[in-house]
Amino acid sequence: MKLSSEEIVQELNRIFDEEVEAATRYLHLRSAVRGLDRVLVERILKEGFDETIRHAEVIAQKIRALGHVPRLEIQVSCPSEPVSGREALRQALTFEEAALECYQDLLRKVEGDVVLEEFARSQIATESEHVAQLKELLSE
Amino acid sequence: MDVWKEYEHNEITHSAAHHLMAIDDLVEKLGYARVSDVARRLNITRGSVSISLQPLKKAGLINQDENRHLQLSEVGRQLVHAIKTKRLLLQRLFHEVLGVEPRQAEIDACKLEHLISNETANRLVSFLRFVDSDESRARELLRLWAEFDPSCAHEPGRCPSCETHCMEETVPLPPRAPADRAPPGRRPEVSRK
Repeated sequence: MKLSSEEIVQELNRIFDEEVEAATRYLHLRSAVRGLDRVLVERILKEGFDETIRHAEVIAQKIRALGHVPRLEIQVSCPSEPVSGREALRQALTFEEAALECYQDLLRKVEGDVVLEEFARSQIATESEHVAQLKELLSE
Repeated sequence: MDVWKEYEHNEITHSAAHHLMAIDDLVEKLGYARVSDVARRLNITRGSVSISLQPLKKAGLINQDENRHLQLSEVGRQLVHAIKTKRLLLQRLFHEVLGVEPRQAEIDACKLEHLISNETANRLVSFLRFVDSDESRARELLRLWAEFDPSCAHEPGRCPSCETHCMEETVPLPPRAPADRAPPGRRPEVSRK
């Protein structure tokens, strides 16, 4: 079933929410992480933040290209508690997996729209790489 | 005992209660619940749902199978049913007995549903059973209540509810016509969502 332009924008807005929220979480986790591996994990979280913000910008551009203004609707609450490097990476993995699923859903929904299909595929490739890297770091 | 600290000892947070109820509703309606379904239902991101579900999984309130479908554990199910019952009881108390407007009754019940103790909920069940038990007695009780004039002489020292400050001044209300109250003896419809 082909999605209308409005429905596509709705889907993209949802992913925009996910990416901006993930960036906010990365930002918070970077300040919350404590322990011996803090320096290393901080760097990984900074890269995650930069990459996520870039994704959010790309989504915003896609929405703009469809003649709409992105709508942002997020509600983030991050506790004022320190987290270990491992816990920070585990949380990052949780929301990176959520983002990956969003793009997988998008790909299913935009089947037939070559441009959006390609976009979804490339995002899936990038997000899958992130997820794999985080899983590797978290493996014992 | 510091009573105000009891809030911190509550079993689950407001957000956790809504995540659990969303899973329960989705499983009942669709037969399954995925993170994306919960996110859509609560109108929040999947990332947020995934993060919120972590402590609930750790606490043994939910399980996730190999297809990533969510299910409430037995303990989770009991907790959700208790919360839903408390919401219904509070909604009935606020709307049917106190005469609070239905939408406000629902909002306030939602705020309190996961906070009140089972002991208080049990007393509430007893009270509502009393109201339900005898149509004429309930009608009489509600009629007397509806006709009662709650205005006071603003004398805090003489009022057990006010003690130091007059409640009418400390808890200001928008003016309402007496007709806004639920008419005595009639059970208005309460949403059982």
